[in-house]
Amino acid sequence: MSQPAALRNRRFRSTSTAVYSERFVVMMLASCATITVLITAGIIYMLITESWHFFTSDYVNFKQFLTGSEWSALQAKDIKDAEFGIWPLLSGTLRVTMIAMLISLPLGLITAIYLSEFASRRIRGILKPTLEVIAGIPTVVLGYFAVLVISPSLQWVSSGGFDTFNATSAGIAVGILCLPMVCSLSEDALHAVPNALREGAYGLGCTPFETSIKVVVPAALSGIISAFLLAFSRAIGETMVVALAAGTRATATLDPREQSQTMTGFIVEMIKSENEFGTVQYYSLYGVAITLFVITFGMTLLGQLIRRRYRESYE
Amino acid sequence: MSSIPLPAALQRDDHVAMEQKANRRKRMSRWFSILCVIIAFLSVVVLVVLLVSISIQGSSRLSTDLLSNAHSELHPEQAGMWPAIVGTLFVCGVCALGSLPLGIGTAVFLEEFRPRKLELRWLRHRFPDQSKTWDKLASGLYKSIRGFHSFIQLNISNLAGVPSIVYGLLGLSLFVYMFNVFGQIKVNEASGWEIAGAQHYYQVLSLESGQVVLIPQTDRTQSTLTVESPTTGVTPDGKTYEVGVWEPGSPKPTDPSVRRRTVRKGAKGGVFTDRAWYYFRLPFDRSFLAAGLTLALVILPVVIIASQEALRAVPPSMREASLGLGATTWQTTRDVCLPAAIPGIMTGAILSMGRAIGEAAPLLVIMGAAIAKSTGPQHLMDDAVTMPVLIYNWAGRQQAVYQELAAAAIIVLLIVLLLMNSVAIYLRERLSHV
Repeated sequence: MSQPAALRNRRFRSTSTAVYSERFVVMMLASCATITVLITAGIIYMLITESWHFFTSDYVNFKQFLTGSEWSALQAKDIKDAEFGIWPLLSGTLRVTMIAMLISLPLGLITAIYLSEFASRRIRGILKPTLEVIAGIPTVVLGYFAVLVISPSLQWVSSGGFDTFNATSAGIAVGILCLPMVCSLSEDALHAVPNALREGAYGLGCTPFETSIKVVVPAALSGIISAFLLAFSRAIGETMVVALAAGTRATATLDPREQSQTMTGFIVEMIKSENEFGTVQYYSLYGVAITLFVITFGMTLLGQLIRRRYRESYE
Repeated sequence: MSSIPLPAALQRDDHVAMEQKANRRKRMSRWFSILCVIIAFLSVVVLVVLLVSISIQGSSRLSTDLLSNAHSELHPEQAGMWPAIVGTLFVCGVCALGSLPLGIGTAVFLEEFRPRKLELRWLRHRFPDQSKTWDKLASGLYKSIRGFHSFIQLNISNLAGVPSIVYGLLGLSLFVYMFNVFGQIKVNEASGWEIAGAQHYYQVLSLESGQVVLIPQTDRTQSTLTVESPTTGVTPDGKTYEVGVWEPGSPKPTDPSVRRRTVRKGAKGGVFTDRAWYYFRLPFDRSFLAAGLTLALVILPVVIIASQEALRAVPPSMREASLGLGATTWQTTRDVCLPAAIPGIMTGAILSMGRAIGEAAPLLVIMGAAIAKSTGPQHLMDDAVTMPVLIYNWAGRQQAVYQELAAAAIIVLLIVLLLMNSVAIYLRERLSHV
């Protein structure tokens, strides 16, 4: 702490106490911050050490894990018959996620455009709280909603074409879940676009539609894309909806009407089953979890990269 | 109207075509705004359908039974969610105690103790060595501190994207098994150290029917005891007494108080553990403490990000005024920034607690999907049932009565969340205008 010359040779007790307590506080706060790093390190350490038991077991082959098209960790009576290929779970996850994205991305983006470009104060006053309420609904409730309403109405519409538990109803529920997130993040990005760009577009004779689609959305594109990626990783990691509504059979098809077990769904199913600690089936859940973690971590990193590199800054 | 003659290049253009094009563009714009309205109100429709369908399904089960009873397999029509309400309270209390101080501390560190050029200047002033190496060292130090800050910031954004079930697995390894530091993980048997609050006894049937004597356990590995000779017993309040042994064939004692303290020779007893409320052990095993701490990890990034935004919204002029009066950075933070940021921090805290209340996936991993529990947690290492886990279990069953119960429990959960959110909104409105 630099002091004026008049004070330099005098010792103030309060000043030196403040300096020491300052150092102490900085240490405390820095250790709080360090804990967040330790959590990441803990997650990675845990995933690697536990899945090590899985990948080095006699019944598992890493190459087969990546390419195999059959997953029967829980169905197989004998460990020798169990097949560990991640593709059925991955395809189940992707099916649910794709349906969720088909719903949440366009709807969320259009709602965001509407909120930031067109909506009057009164409509904002209705829509914003609605989205906040949807964002606050626990995921287990949405899973119940999928079982109770979405799946029966799908069956009714298609006159029985869908299974009771199917990828589509879970996907729709996950889409509802992601919608407020896509909407609020995209709206933030649209909001950050300066008004001068809009005024320029109107001055050149653009209609409101052309202004928002051809000028404002491209200007906010980096923010919108990172919002999309965030929603994608959220949908991949979503657990309770798929545990309730997507079914428990791991199949490697692309048919959205069938049951589909996702990676998170498998983890829940595994936890509920009677398999004891230390069996290959038990460790297989860590093999699935590390795959899930790598995908979502990659998505988040990609989102940040896009946000940093392609952000248009208007100062 | 022939005041300004059009340039030749424009005269050639077809007026009718221009007008048609303009009309088409205007029509397009109108259609788009109608589409926008329809899509935007779709979310309102979804919310209404959700709330209406759940309240129709669950209204028949909303009664005082639901609030006061426990889950029951035999009488599902009387089943209730009282243990789940208490359990949620305990788990979320632990979660708040764990995540709020940690999250707010990290946010303060990242926002208020951000390294500024000032510190570099101070370093140079303090050690006025003008050599090049020193200069390089000082700026290197400064850069590494800055790097630490931005690394933590990046790390927090990444943590926010980790699925909550992965946090559940982390909690399983970290809190439930503590990375296996306390010995090999055993199935169906507690491993580790019991630190306080546990008393182990052998329970042996006495001669008085229905009564038992308690004999303190000395060797933890021995799970049964065979009484051959008189030993010392303990009353439930801790007093010791002599346990008599009755040889079959000899006359039985007739005095009830003696009979109560006498066991048959060769009688066998099993282990019984008495746990006080402060019972503490390492690792935590499948307890509500482990569950609450895991939930704290899940919502930590949310708390940090919300608190950071609240601190960022404090105008810099207030900080500068305080620093200008000679306060240190911590004094400024404590007396100026934190009080000004409290509404924002509180709102963020309440919203993240709302998220914690509804979170089920990590709790399924930590405590399992079992819900047969008739009370809340009895001691620190007890397990608990929470509302989302109960709903998950009920909703996954085939019987219609459990489906209705699930809907009724959802109504209770949503009412709690709605109340919390309105408190958050009220606080934001009330405190931000002071």
